[in-house]
Amino acid sequence: MNLLDVKNLSITLQSTAEPILAVDRVSLSIKEGEFRGLVGESGSGKSLLAKAIMGVLDDKWKVEADRFHWQGIDLLRLTEEERKKIITRDVAIIFQEPMSCLDPTNTIGEQIEEAIDSKQLSGYFWQKAQQRRKAAIKLLHKVGIKKHTLVAKSYPHQLTTTLCQRVMIAMALARRPKLLIADEPTASMEPANQAQIFRLLASLNQLKSMSVLLISHELDKISHWTDNLTVMYSGQFVEAGTTAQIFKTPFHPYTKALIASTPTPQKQWQKKARLETLPGTIPVLQHLPIGCRLGPRCPNARKKCVTAPQIRSYHGHQVSCHFSHKDEY
Amino acid sequence: MFSFALRRLNLLFFTLLMLTLVAFSLNYFFPGSPIVNMTGLVNASDAELATYEQMYHMDQSLFFQYLAYLKEIFSGNFGVSMSTQSPISEELVTYLPATIELSLAALFLAMLFGIPLGFIAAIFHNKGADKTILVIAMVGYSLPVFWLALILILVFAIILPWFPSSGQINLLFEIEQVTGFKLIDILLSDSPYRWQAFLDALKHLVLPAIAVAVAPMTIFIRLARTSMLEVLESNYIKAARAKGLSNLKIIYHHGIRNALVRIIRDMGLQFANLMTLAMIAEVIFDWQGAGSWLIDSIFQRDYTAIQGGLIALASFTFLINIFADFIYAALNPVERYARHGT
Repeated sequence: MNLLDVKNLSITLQSTAEPILAVDRVSLSIKEGEFRGLVGESGSGKSLLAKAIMGVLDDKWKVEADRFHWQGIDLLRLTEEERKKIITRDVAIIFQEPMSCLDPTNTIGEQIEEAIDSKQLSGYFWQKAQQRRKAAIKLLHKVGIKKHTLVAKSYPHQLTTTLCQRVMIAMALARRPKLLIADEPTASMEPANQAQIFRLLASLNQLKSMSVLLISHELDKISHWTDNLTVMYSGQFVEAGTTAQIFKTPFHPYTKALIASTPTPQKQWQKKARLETLPGTIPVLQHLPIGCRLGPRCPNARKKCVTAPQIRSYHGHQVSCHFSHKDEY
Repeated sequence: MFSFALRRLNLLFFTLLMLTLVAFSLNYFFPGSPIVNMTGLVNASDAELATYEQMYHMDQSLFFQYLAYLKEIFSGNFGVSMSTQSPISEELVTYLPATIELSLAALFLAMLFGIPLGFIAAIFHNKGADKTILVIAMVGYSLPVFWLALILILVFAIILPWFPSSGQINLLFEIEQVTGFKLIDILLSDSPYRWQAFLDALKHLVLPAIAVAVAPMTIFIRLARTSMLEVLESNYIKAARAKGLSNLKIIYHHGIRNALVRIIRDMGLQFANLMTLAMIAEVIFDWQGAGSWLIDSIFQRDYTAIQGGLIALASFTFLINIFADFIYAALNPVERYARHGT
């Protein structure tokens, strides 16, 4: 059964004179125990989508969706309060720049203890503080922090970014979430530390059967860990499928270009060979092309591309393109 | 923490040194002979003045004169008042505590009302409460203190006889001066009417403290509002929201503390402004403090008193500033501990 099922979710920025459609009818579904990657360039609306799912966007953003189901519950029929209650109970999110996501004036221990739901605790109120402390230490152990007393006593600025991200994951685990959204958790980290965080997420996914939605702009880096991938471009859905499908048989010209742009180890490299890229850059939000937003950069673009394509599904491999590469394989 | 304290004390020392330099140069800028300005002995004979010239090394270069002056200042000798011929240090001990009492009461009032109002305005950002509070702040900021003081006296002392119009305490109570702080002196005294006297002194304090507090309060409102707004925009508040904490918990646990840290940092700056207001209010409310004493001295061209008052009031402002820095460090762990890692 689908854990999360979102169809045609749109996010509009309303603070400007003319509303800007930042995310245009994106669909996303996550199964239980799935490790899904969400890939796209910077500014393609990945983080917006994650924040919209969590319901932590400001008032200036307007979110609409045709379908928004959580474990079969239609969240659109509920009031905002009820929706928030369900989402914060079952979904946790970790952000990039973990240090800025921790309160600088509270110790790590206090912040983890605060995240623990009091329903998990038993006994009288004077026993609860002790239980909270124990639960916090357990959470720190779960994310691979052995020096729990030292870390719990520290303030965020005394820890490294990697440790802070581990603490963020520990806090996310405090509510025993069914889905963990990781919004570029390893931005500005060294590769060794990135691998540590990814490994931690993968082990949590396997051992606790917790679904993970990993958001990143580096397709090749996360593909080692993910089961399925969703690709976004400029706020539009591009392609979704298993990692193997996306890598071996990319249907969409954008995905194809994205994979081709990654340098792979080869025996013979031509001197000063050009990296394969699409011409141009991602459009700014104020000047979005109509129809398929890849249009101006797309090698396959034709007149038909000024109307946005419908999503078509081939054995679970979804693509949104009029002229896909499907028949080439 | 130790090096932080050392740095602040270092700053205090050097600023005080600069201040004495200014005060010393005044002796030469004021009309009259420097030695008379320095000692305040207007009616002294030539022989007396000669001994004082010896004491202040007036025959040597300016540098040695300054050193001699410093030595006298640090041993507590500010000279005598030109108008009353009593030592400045004694007059300061009499008058300064009253000013400190008034300005601390005003600072307390300003923070007590200003900071929560600012927080409320930030929490209800762009709503009715926010706009009302901002209007009040704007009006309060533009009211001149002398007008406000007179209106307060007119309304709350004359039309409604709730508070006394001037003075520090009813003359019926005889309180011995020990520390100079009226409220503390009353509590220290063993008079049978202690509590009546204490209440009476508090009543006398209310109107002047309000008059002084209004303008700084409006500044605190704005400071609290902007810093709370900044905190509410920050990532850790968003992360706390995603954690599922209620709004009240977020503001109580994360908002107030972080916002307070920023306000305390700027509190010291507001204090200089508050002292000036206190001086004007002292004159209007006939408050026997250093402010009204200093203004009297200015009218009487009492140069030694002006110098002494300058040094005393400025060092008090500095002390409050440094004190605010210490509170800031105590509240803010980022200042207290060294950064590790990246």
